[in-house]
Amino acid sequence: MKVLVIGSGLGGLLSAAWLSREGHEVDVFERLPIIGGRFTNIEYKGFQLSTGALHMIPHGPTGPLGTLLKDLEADVKIVRSRPMTTIRIPTEKDAMDYTHGFQDIEFHDFRKHFSLLNRIKLAILITTTRTFPPKSGSMAHWCSKNLNQDWALKLADSFCGWALSLKAENVPATEVFEIIENMYRYSGPGIPVGGCQAVTEALINIISSHGNKIHTSTEVTQILVENNKAVGLVADGNEYRADLVISDIGHLETSRLYDTNALDTSAASYFTAIRKLRPSAGVKICLASNEPLIEHTGVLLTPYAQRINGIDEVTNVDPSLAPAGKHLIMAHQCVQWENIGRLEEEIDLGLRDLSEIFAGKEYEVLLIQSYSGEWPVNRSSSGSDLSNRTPIEGLYVVGDGAKGKGGIEVDGIALGVRTAINDILNSN
Amino acid sequence: MKIDERCVGCGQCTAFCPKNAIIVKGIARITTDCIQCKICMAYCPMKAIEESA
Repeated sequence: MKVLVIGSGLGGLLSAAWLSREGHEVDVFERLPIIGGRFTNIEYKGFQLSTGALHMIPHGPTGPLGTLLKDLEADVKIVRSRPMTTIRIPTEKDAMDYTHGFQDIEFHDFRKHFSLLNRIKLAILITTTRTFPPKSGSMAHWCSKNLNQDWALKLADSFCGWALSLKAENVPATEVFEIIENMYRYSGPGIPVGGCQAVTEALINIISSHGNKIHTSTEVTQILVENNKAVGLVADGNEYRADLVISDIGHLETSRLYDTNALDTSAASYFTAIRKLRPSAGVKICLASNEPLIEHTGVLLTPYAQRINGIDEVTNVDPSLAPAGKHLIMAHQCVQWENIGRLEEEIDLGLRDLSEIFAGKEYEVLLIQSYSGEWPVNRSSSGSDLSNRTPIEGLYVVGDGAKGKGGIEVDGIALGVRTAINDILNSN
Repeated sequence: MKIDERCVGCGQCTAFCPKNAIIVKGIARITTDCIQCKICMAYCPMKAIEESA
């Protein structure tokens, strides 16, 4: 089978690597000069920053991405974070920020900070909710209905902000419980040695070792459709014919590459659905320091910060991600849709949070990177993902615009790719 | 070089600028250190960078 892939982001590369190993002829087209989309490294002042992701894989070596990479025999080492997560809380009871001191608690101890009544409720809720997940409503609604305590919403916002770049009010409770279920199933995060690029490079090696090619600086301008079937594409003015087209640029962006008017009315609901997809927005602040700021390999959640949701220090796993003796710290803050127009003020709030979180520590702000719209955190916000199929036969969408249910970020991408490729292999 | 409203502020241009002439905070801004080498244009995922007239 001849397969063409649009976009060399993680979803495109995973699909291309898998199909290469199955013996198919694959060409990948990438508009930019670099391969990897929002999941590779960019060097800045000697630090290995990234084009998007925070050099972290949500469910580490045993999650959906880790497992898929293993199945593809990709040469990547993912180090499990220990501890998984700590939570920074104010020392003084009833304090609403970190200005008067703080302490870090282990993630599993979050229950201790609820009232006794809520702790009993929580113990029951965790069991019953796992068996009977909520069918509707947001995570924020679930928190206020079941645990009417500020701490519950703060923690939910911090977790959803870090993992999904969404406020708890914008995440369906079902999605969060699916994620919690996945935390039991797959365990916590991990950091790939070498950062995001180690994953990207390993996949490029698989693709090229099978004689397949990634065309960089080559833009796809059209998907060729005949009798409602994808038969190829046009890239840089050249026509390429194929049996299958896989797009890693999201449903909406993909639909702009073919004539939607030529499709019959049964496709109308698909086009309505893809126009409703909302990409999630966020800001990543990269810090450099001479001393460790976090001192462990997991996530530091900061529920009492105004904007910053969580922080990791990737050099605690791989010191080569920074110049000798330096540390690389990456903080993430979710940007709510209504605040995208006020990004600089949002960033200032994030920077102020960091000065409180790391009070008394010396650090340098290396680079502030924001993501929204058509270069977002996730092309479809978690809990709203559509399937990998399109109304056109032989045209599939993978990537962060078509993640699997309950899959955080790149693990969601891997779940989506597994579904798509199994679908493709079973129907061809 | 000129940056238009399509810029999301991802900072990819900053990292590839050989003259360190792009400051990014929510949106990218070109400083007077720019030598019009156009390298940044290719790396912008939003096609937000044009040559200034």
